[in-house]
This record gives sequence, C-alpha cells and structure tokens, in this order.
Amino acid sequence: MSDSEKWGWWTLGVVVLTIAAYAAFVAFLKHGPATSAVFALLALTALPASSRRYFTGRRFDERESAIANKALLAGFRAFWVAFVGLTVAIGFIKGWDATLSVPVWTLMETLWWAVVLVLGVQALTTILLYRGESHA
Amino acid sequence: MPSPEPEIKNHIRRLRFDHGEMTQDQLAKQAGVTRHTIMALEAGKYFPSLLLAFRIARVFGALVEQVFEYQVIPDPAETLRP
Repeated sequence: MSDSEKWGWWTLGVVVLTIAAYAAFVAFLKHGPATSAVFALLALTALPASSRRYFTGRRFDERESAIANKALLAGFRAFWVAFVGLTVAIGFIKGWDATLSVPVWTLMETLWWAVVLVLGVQALTTILLYRGESHA
Repeated sequence: MPSPEPEIKNHIRRLRFDHGEMTQDQLAKQAGVTRHTIMALEAGKYFPSLLLAFRIARVFGALVEQVFEYQVIPDPAETLRP
C-alpha cells in the first residue's frame, strides 16, 4: 500500500471516528459546546499516516501528485455543492430577507462539518483512485 | 459520436526481463518514482508524462518508441463505411 493510500485510510478513519463520536455525544449531551469539542479529533489528521514519508521527506511522484490533486479537487467540489445547496435551502426555508441568529457553536460546527466533508471526500477519492481506476 | 480511444501500450515488463530480470523496485528507484507507479504503468492503468517516459526509456537504454507504443483502436463503424 502506498503512502498516499495509507493517508487516505487514516484520514477516512479519523473522519468516521469523529462522526461516530459526535453522534454518541449528541445522544448524551445534546447539541452544544461540549458536543462541538468532539471535532478536536480532526487534529489527528495532521499526524503522518506514513512515518517513512515523514522521516525521509520523500516527495510525491507524478502519479501520486495527479491523484492528490484530483482528490483535493473532489473534496472542494463536494464542499461547493454543499455550500451552494445549504445557502439556497436556507434562503428558501427562512425567506431571503430573514435574519438568522445562531449561537457561536452552531457557526463553528458548520465550519467543522465543512472540514469533515472536504477531508472525507478527499480521503475516499484517494482510496478509490488507488483501487485501480484508470487515470492519466 | 465519440472518437476512437487511443491506447498507449508499453513493454516495460518485457524490457525489465531483458535487463537481467530487473525488479519493479529497481526500475522505480532509477526512474525516480514509486514501485506502485511502475505497477500501474505495467497494468496499463496509468499513462506517464513525457518526462517519465523518457526517464524509463533511458533506464533501459532504449528509445521512447521502443518502450511505449501508441495505438488507435479503429472505430468499427468507420471501417465498415465504404
């Protein structure tokens, strides 16, 4: 398994763990600042999934770079679709002239979910591209 | 109607064999890529950049055309046309 693929699995694992922990916290604590703290788990994605790449400083080759670029693009595409969908949905549901008043933790959670989405799609795309899909 | 899909075939596996049964790892190191990239190339799942194609050809001391072969699969509809 290549280093990038390991990164994909590691990141996907962290994302799944975060979502599971969030669901468990919501069940016991309801929504709120304590529940939002679960997103600190995402910091685990900063840890190197491959110590070899980390310590040797080996760079991507051209195929790995192409896959990394495609995966990142897929992540941001997903984010963009979600962002536009959410914005338009709020406009239709609440009315275009409505004023929204939300707690700070809600705003923070929205941003965290965006990070979860981007990382999740990026990791999944990386894994799928390494799983034999033909790419130039 | 979509144009016929071009295919780039390569003879890396055979060339490795001809060069003292060079391993994928050895070729990867000499070409400056990972073994996984060589595996993907041999399986026809990845088409290399021109730079990498030249690097691989250089490892074998061959021309790029001797390593990679460009083939256009003819469209059956085109061949049947009078």
